[in-house]
Order: sequence, then structure tokens, then C-alpha cells
Amino acid sequence: MTANEPLVLALPKGRILEEVRPILTDVGIQPELAFDDPKSRLLKFKTNIPNLSIIRVRSFDVATFVAFGAAHLGIAGNDVLMEFDYPEIYAPVDLSIGYCRIAVAEPKELGESDDPSRWSHIRVATKYPNITRKHFARRGVQAECIKLNGAMELAPGMGLCRRIVDLVSSGKTLKENGLVEVETIAEITSRLIVNRAALKTRSEEVSGWVDRFREVSRRAA
Amino acid sequence: MLLPDGLRDVLSPEATREASVVHGLIERFRASAFRRVDPPLVEFEDSLLDGVGAPTAPHTFRLMDPVSQRMMGLRADITVQVARIATSRLTRTPRPLRLCYAGPVLRVRGTQLRPERQITQAGCELIGADTPEADAELIEIAIDALSGVGAKDLSVDISLPTVVPSVFESLGLDKDTRRRARLALDRKDAHDVAALGGDAALRLGALLDACGPAERAMEKLLAIDLPPMAAAERDRLARVLELLDESAPGLVITVDPVEHRGFEYQTGLSFTLFSKGVRGELGRGGRYAAGAAGEPATGVTLYLDSVMRAVPMAEEVQTVYLPHGTSPAQGRALRDAGWCTMAGLSAEADVAAEARRLACTHIFDPMRGADPIPLDDA
Repeated sequence: MTANEPLVLALPKGRILEEVRPILTDVGIQPELAFDDPKSRLLKFKTNIPNLSIIRVRSFDVATFVAFGAAHLGIAGNDVLMEFDYPEIYAPVDLSIGYCRIAVAEPKELGESDDPSRWSHIRVATKYPNITRKHFARRGVQAECIKLNGAMELAPGMGLCRRIVDLVSSGKTLKENGLVEVETIAEITSRLIVNRAALKTRSEEVSGWVDRFREVSRRAA
Repeated sequence: MLLPDGLRDVLSPEATREASVVHGLIERFRASAFRRVDPPLVEFEDSLLDGVGAPTAPHTFRLMDPVSQRMMGLRADITVQVARIATSRLTRTPRPLRLCYAGPVLRVRGTQLRPERQITQAGCELIGADTPEADAELIEIAIDALSGVGAKDLSVDISLPTVVPSVFESLGLDKDTRRRARLALDRKDAHDVAALGGDAALRLGALLDACGPAERAMEKLLAIDLPPMAAAERDRLARVLELLDESAPGLVITVDPVEHRGFEYQTGLSFTLFSKGVRGELGRGGRYAAGAAGEPATGVTLYLDSVMRAVPMAEEVQTVYLPHGTSPAQGRALRDAGWCTMAGLSAEADVAAEARRLACTHIFDPMRGADPIPLDDA
């Protein structure tokens, strides 16, 4: 990286992006046209601001890009932040979008017969092994995590394990797969994140953007 | 030949460059009368992990000393060793005591950002002075040493790690609220700080808001009603900024009164050194209590892995090939003139080809005896 290189904003692909789009407009960032073209294969986009470009990556990768300073700013859910817990990332603004929760779910019939106070070990399918392990360790239960990258809801029915830890928004997918939510681990929203060194060494520029995002999210609230 | 995770062979020119950077840093420390000490790589674990060394315990490789049957640790940090020297062997040396050091440290695991398990540290410690002058001196020397070896776009972020705990104390926050507040402050999350409610949200929110460029931060800090201990730290900061304004004009300074990660054992004003565009910090430092008596001390440690990313790469070495039979005196004269000479060990029919094969840039003609001839022209 050189000193005068443009700032990079990392945005997550998928569901959250739709909610992020109006915020970009409100803070005054206008990405090039290809950004809104679902057929475009571009990953990096110019914006109306000469010194700011956007990259579009998977939500977990937003945190990685920002932690390593490859992107200076980003938008990520606090599920991702909790999972990695990078000390290099600051999360100064809660954007109040992407509301959901990270929860433990299990088959309906299991919940009726089970007594959690007797557990010493459980097996869980999840995209969030660190959050899961920490959560159960806090109450003295060792969680053996099976890392899956999607379709967690299938795991209990297929005999992979009996419980899952996953993001839940409406709970519809759980219900369709015969699962019930038994415990909320954390409420999730998307945050504006910044790289620590970028905030320190490009203080004016980066805090300028932080202030703008904060202002917009405050107005929306 | 696979090496264990986080360990690597450093080759030339990087190895040469790192050695010269370390030399440059140490020379700058010495120029301000910091005397070099060189503690051993391994020592008994109880002295290595005592006091300021405690946070390095989880990072320390241990081995059993077959001779004394005692547990030893491989240093993960040198500051603790220097503090030990200052407060044991050098108790009768007049204070303030200035010591410097450089050497490798080893740790059990790297971080994702800094996966190296072995890194070289260089630093200095100022023991027995509890004044803002001492704080400012170390910052100024670190910056000067770094610019001296070619690091550019430097900035320093000054933290006051004791301010937040003292505000917690004065607000009488319970353990759970402290934990939540700490987490929110660590993430610089203004929303979660506001969610604490009451006086805590107000005071801690104001501290968080004060993060940023020094001048503005100082103005904001002055407007906050702080408990006496925290106010004293603020006064110290003001004085350090004043001193730096004089000794390092133009230095980019930011202030972060809520930063705490990495400063868990610091007892006062601390700082982190950055170079724009280099990931991670070049070094950090701050106040601590040295030895069992808790002698006031402050120090700075530079991490050579990131310092090397901030300095320009070495220029290509100009090496002169000396054909077999060149007289020793001619070789010596060239080296005295600053050339690097490579002696031909046997007579070669095509001297230029041999010089090229060995990556020399010039050849010397012992018959002509004049300046070395660049290989492109030979």
C-alpha cells in the first residue's frame, strides 16, 4: 500500500447489500453503474468520489479485508465481528440494518424431553464455531462444532447432529425444517467497521466518513 | 525443508537490510545516551513472567533446565528483562537510567495479522523518571530513529490507559456494566456506549468522542469533568503534546483516551507508532512499574517485521569482481573507497562472464588499476 492510495470500502454481497444501497446514496457515495447491474462480474467499483472505491465480497471476507488493512472501511454484521474478534477492527457505527439474531435451534421433539443442565458436551452444526464454543463454554458445556457453510437447518434431520447455531430473522426456515429456536445468543445488526491503522494514520479522512455514516443512521432512526 | 509455522529463513538482501536498520535504530538510541544491554534468550520463568512480564506468559515457550531442574522461558518480550536488569544489577547506577536493546523474541503463536513467531525487537527503556519530559523523550527518539532508517509518513497515537478505569471507579460501575462498556469502547461503538445510559454514557461517550487528531482531542478532553487521577493524566498529556510540538514539529499525533488493548499492564501514558499504509503498528510503548518496588519507568519497543515494511528496500549492492591475482592492496583500496569486492578464487578465461555468473555489477582490471568497470560496458 502506498500513502496516497484511495480508500477502499468493502461491502457484503447478498441480502444486506439491498439495505446498504440507500445508505450509500445518503452519505453521498455513487458507485459506477456496473455496481447495480446484477449481471456484472466486476468485484471492484469506482465511485463518484475520486479517492474512494468499493469492493464487493462475502460477508465474512469483509471483516478479513478490513482487519488486514486491504480495505479501510467496511460494512459487516456483528455476527462476523463476534466470530473473528479482530483487535484491528473498530465498529463505530450501528447502521440499524440487517436485523436478525444468532440463535440455538433444535428439533421440536428434542426440546420437550431434554434437560440442558445435565449437558457436559454437545455437538452443533454452525457457520460460527467460535461464537458457539464461547457461548456454551460460559455455562460449562463443551461444544463440538461441525463447520457448515450453509443449509444448517438440514443437519439435525439428516442425523449430522441434533442442534444448530445460525442466523435467524423470521424463523420461517427453521419452522419448515421442524426446528424450534431455544436460545438467542446475540441480536445482530450491521455495523460500519474501520481498520485501526487507517483510523489512526488517515484520521481526518476516515473519521469524516465515520461521521457521515453516523449522521445518516441517526437520521434514519 | 519445511520450517515450523511462523518461522522463516531471511535471505539477502532482506537480512542485510534488517541488520543495517537495527544498527541505525540502536545508534540513534545510543546517541541519546541509552546504554546497550544484552540479556540472554532464555531465563528462569519466574523472573521472566514476573510483573510487566505477566501478560507474555501465554505466549512464552517453556523448557525444563536439565541442570537446575527448574522451568525456563524463552523470552517473548525484552522489556521485562531490561526492567529486571535495571532493578537488580543496576540498582546502584544513578537514575534516570537509560538502557537500549535489540534482539529476537519468540512466541508460542503469532496473530492472524502478524503470523511470525520469531521477530526482532529493538527498543529503549527509561527507568526512574516519572515526568512528561521522559514520556516525550521516548516518543521523539522513536520517531527520530524510525525516520533515520527511512520510514516515512509516521504518526503516533497517544493513549491514556488508566483514564477509563478511573472513570469506571468514580462512576461506581458494577462488573457487568464495566465489561459491556469496555467492549463498546474497544470497538469504538458510540451506539453501545450511549446504550449504557446515565452518567456512564455521558462521560464515556465524551471520552470516545475525543479520539482523533491531538489538538481537537485535547480541546474535547478539557471539556470533560474527570476524576482527579484521570485529570492528572490529561494534564500530563497536555504537557507531552507541548514538548513534542517543540521537539518533533510536524509530527502527526492522534490521541485515543479509550484504547486499552495491548496496554493492559501499562500504568500511564502510552503510545503506538504507525506508518501510513503499513498494516499493524511499527511499535508501541508506555509507562510501567519496573521490578518488585514498582520503580516508575517508560519504554518503547519497535517491531522489526513491520518497521521493515515501512522502510525503503535496500539499493542493489554494487559488487566488484576481482580477477584471480589482483593484489590484496588493490582490493583493500577499493573496499576503503566503499566498494564491496568479490575475490576470484581461480584464474578465469572469461572474467566478465564469471563476474556476471556471480551477480557482480563491476569488474576490476588489475593491469589498468583504475576505477572498476561497469559490467554492461565491459
